[in-house]
Amino acid sequence: MTQTLDAGEGLSQFDSPAARGAPTSTVQTGAKFGTFAITFGIAFALLYTVYERLNWPLFTYHPVLGNLDFGRQPTGVGPPMFWYGWIVLAAASALVVACAATIIPARWLRQATVFCCALAVLWPASLAGLRIFIVDWATFDADFLNSPWVAAIPGFIGTAVITYYFPARLAERLWTSWLLIVPIVGLVVLGSSLLQPWFLR
Amino acid sequence: MNIIFSIIREDTFWKILLFIHFLLAVGLLAAVTLQAVAVLMPARQMAGHFIDRSPVPAAGYTALIAIVYVLQALMGAWIYIKYRTYVRIPMEQLRHFWTVGSFELKEHVVTMGMGLLPAYWYFWRQPLSAEHDNVRRWVTVFLALSVWYAFIVGHVANDFRGVGS
Repeated sequence: MTQTLDAGEGLSQFDSPAARGAPTSTVQTGAKFGTFAITFGIAFALLYTVYERLNWPLFTYHPVLGNLDFGRQPTGVGPPMFWYGWIVLAAASALVVACAATIIPARWLRQATVFCCALAVLWPASLAGLRIFIVDWATFDADFLNSPWVAAIPGFIGTAVITYYFPARLAERLWTSWLLIVPIVGLVVLGSSLLQPWFLR
Repeated sequence: MNIIFSIIREDTFWKILLFIHFLLAVGLLAAVTLQAVAVLMPARQMAGHFIDRSPVPAAGYTALIAIVYVLQALMGAWIYIKYRTYVRIPMEQLRHFWTVGSFELKEHVVTMGMGLLPAYWYFWRQPLSAEHDNVRRWVTVFLALSVWYAFIVGHVANDFRGVGS
């Protein structure tokens, strides 16, 4: 099938709108939609994972009362539901990011994607590292280091260095792969957060 | 909702909804599995001047899969209200923690799949681009796995407290 598709695609390349002399605007619209769709997929998965982990829903739904409250609300009558709020916030944010992606140069977009993905790993990793340092290594009262804003400093510096040295060609080649890497890593992160409360209980 | 509940009993309404959710799930499962198998099938041999085509027109399912996936996610989100109060609480009380955890993960898996739908639709647009052959294949497989996972976990949750349980 793969070969069949390849053969079909090989032929269809010559039959593409560009080859047929379709208006440049049609081709550009298609390319822009591609940029939008791929960026949306990457940004949505990344932001959904972040919002879930930080528990930042746009709204909270209380199923027993049928109430919808803005932001994160504590348990009232019955359990609160945050899932809808995470999805809507992630979708809205990803929509903005994806629209912005269609107007910036492709090279910047690839680098920005590397930056965001690296930051999503390094920021929480820095915070975890600082917490380990505070508990196991610090010989002074290092509680002030236990802050996401302090962890942001090494996180951003590390990310900037990685992005600067990341080969542009590799960023170009990897770009569509983020579409699968980010959701899979996101699911690993979200799944591991479920281990303690449910699977190892 | 009150108008509906004045015509049929509340639990009957939710069971009908759950059954429709199940029927759509079977359809989605069939379509996305066929498409995933089509993109994963080993290459066929060319015979003479004939290019041997797959019996499964994989690209033809794309719009159907995307639409049913969204419909299913919306229906699931609606039924989730009932699940959260009527099913999950007794599930926790009876210590079915694996089922609760698996269902929590199902929410995330389905959400990730939803986020991929615009790109999935783009990659399957005709004429298929050879440049996106690999990513098209794995996005399709990801969606198929997400639907399978959601179906199995949803079925287990239904067996706990749902249609026919």
